[in-house]
Amino acid sequence: MTASTGSQDFPCVLTLDVPFPTARLASIALQSLQVDKELSALVRRTFSISSSIEGARGDSDKILKVEYKATTNRMLRVAFNSFMESLNLVVEVMEELDADVLSTPIAA
Amino acid sequence: MPKPLLALGCEGSANKLGLGVVSHDPTTNKTTILSNVRHTFNSPPGTGFLPKDTAKHHRTFFTRIAHEALSTAGISPSDLSCICYTRGPGMGAPLSSVAIAARTLSLLWDKPLVGVNHCVGHIEMGRVITGADNPVVLYVSGGNTQVIAYAEQRYRIFGETLDIAVGNCIDRFARTLGIPNDPFPGYNVEQLAKKGGSVLLDLPYAVKGMDCSFSGILAAADLLAAQMREQDRILSAEGGKLKEGEVRITPEDLCFTLQETVYAMLVEITERAMAHVGSKQVLVVGGVGCNERLQEMMGSMAKDRGGSVYSTDERFCIDNGIMIALAGLLAYETGFRTPLEDSTCTQRFRTDEVHIKWRDD
Repeated sequence: MTASTGSQDFPCVLTLDVPFPTARLASIALQSLQVDKELSALVRRTFSISSSIEGARGDSDKILKVEYKATTNRMLRVAFNSFMESLNLVVEVMEELDADVLSTPIAA
Repeated sequence: MPKPLLALGCEGSANKLGLGVVSHDPTTNKTTILSNVRHTFNSPPGTGFLPKDTAKHHRTFFTRIAHEALSTAGISPSDLSCICYTRGPGMGAPLSSVAIAARTLSLLWDKPLVGVNHCVGHIEMGRVITGADNPVVLYVSGGNTQVIAYAEQRYRIFGETLDIAVGNCIDRFARTLGIPNDPFPGYNVEQLAKKGGSVLLDLPYAVKGMDCSFSGILAAADLLAAQMREQDRILSAEGGKLKEGEVRITPEDLCFTLQETVYAMLVEITERAMAHVGSKQVLVVGGVGCNERLQEMMGSMAKDRGGSVYSTDERFCIDNGIMIALAGLLAYETGFRTPLEDSTCTQRFRTDEVHIKWRDD
């Protein structure tokens, strides 16, 4: 996670790289999370998929890149916390309810 | 021969997280409930459930409830035709937490999504359970109060609350009295009301045409509760006595009075809608619909008109996943899908916005 300087209107920036085990899961996370619009006009966000943190080619697209920009640090914190809660849910659903997980018998 | 279709429904518009699986056979119109799992977020006595805490509850319990819904039904995701979720109306944060989870399931399992109007879910569930084919519907819950009749592929709203929902009025009065929210506030008000009835206290009666209003009644009931506490204070002092002719107010009589007043209002507007559309059936759905006193009052009105009341118990009338699964599956069978990019939620989503394509009467 990195904080850097943004544009004049949106000076508060936070970026996060979320590595997933497969490209399929990274893409599913992106698609699930980007449907809901950001509620505040004081916050901008972009989601994208990339190959690796340092740009090493050859690796398939397993990383969800998230960038949040806001007018104030307070707005940034509120929006980013809310994103983390949603991301947490998506990851938990993947862990617990993916088809291959469900087809594996659970040990008693 | 086509097989029955299966759907998973995910509901979380208020403080109940409900997931369930139903099967529906398009050729025979037979509906079977395979599982109906629910987990309720209850806030402490004297408080209500807030969107933030409720959303957290739904996120925390989602995977557990989903597992239970699938294993009780004895199915695997590949058996499903679609995944249905509540699009609205309801509280924003709880709705969108469940929508995010439903979207993830849809992508993981490669099944289409169907966004469902919560009110339509209640109506379709009530019709299936009771067998009422074309009733006037009274939809009463913590968030909604509407009298509805079907005409030409829409559930049309004949009358509704002008301010707060009847269930909200009752829930908030339970908070005033500080009685528990478990299992649900309306149940506890009903139990107290059963012990009351020695006196009907004075509350306003607020029916305006086909609509009604509950906020003023709540304010008046709160004033009576404050008067009751003042009486408690006077009587607990040594030699304390009430004024000549002053009625001693009790929580039981307050609950009795509140129920009698608001239910009489609901019966009045429902009866007017029945007379208007010429129907003898009335279906009561929504969380308040499992109140036995409301069912009894509605029943005697319907009986006088030569008809009857159709109601369900708490498994089906309180928010649940199967009602969303059923209404979603009926829409799915007509070809309706919610594309992933449109699978948002909305706090306001009126009952009459939905095209009821699956009915042709």
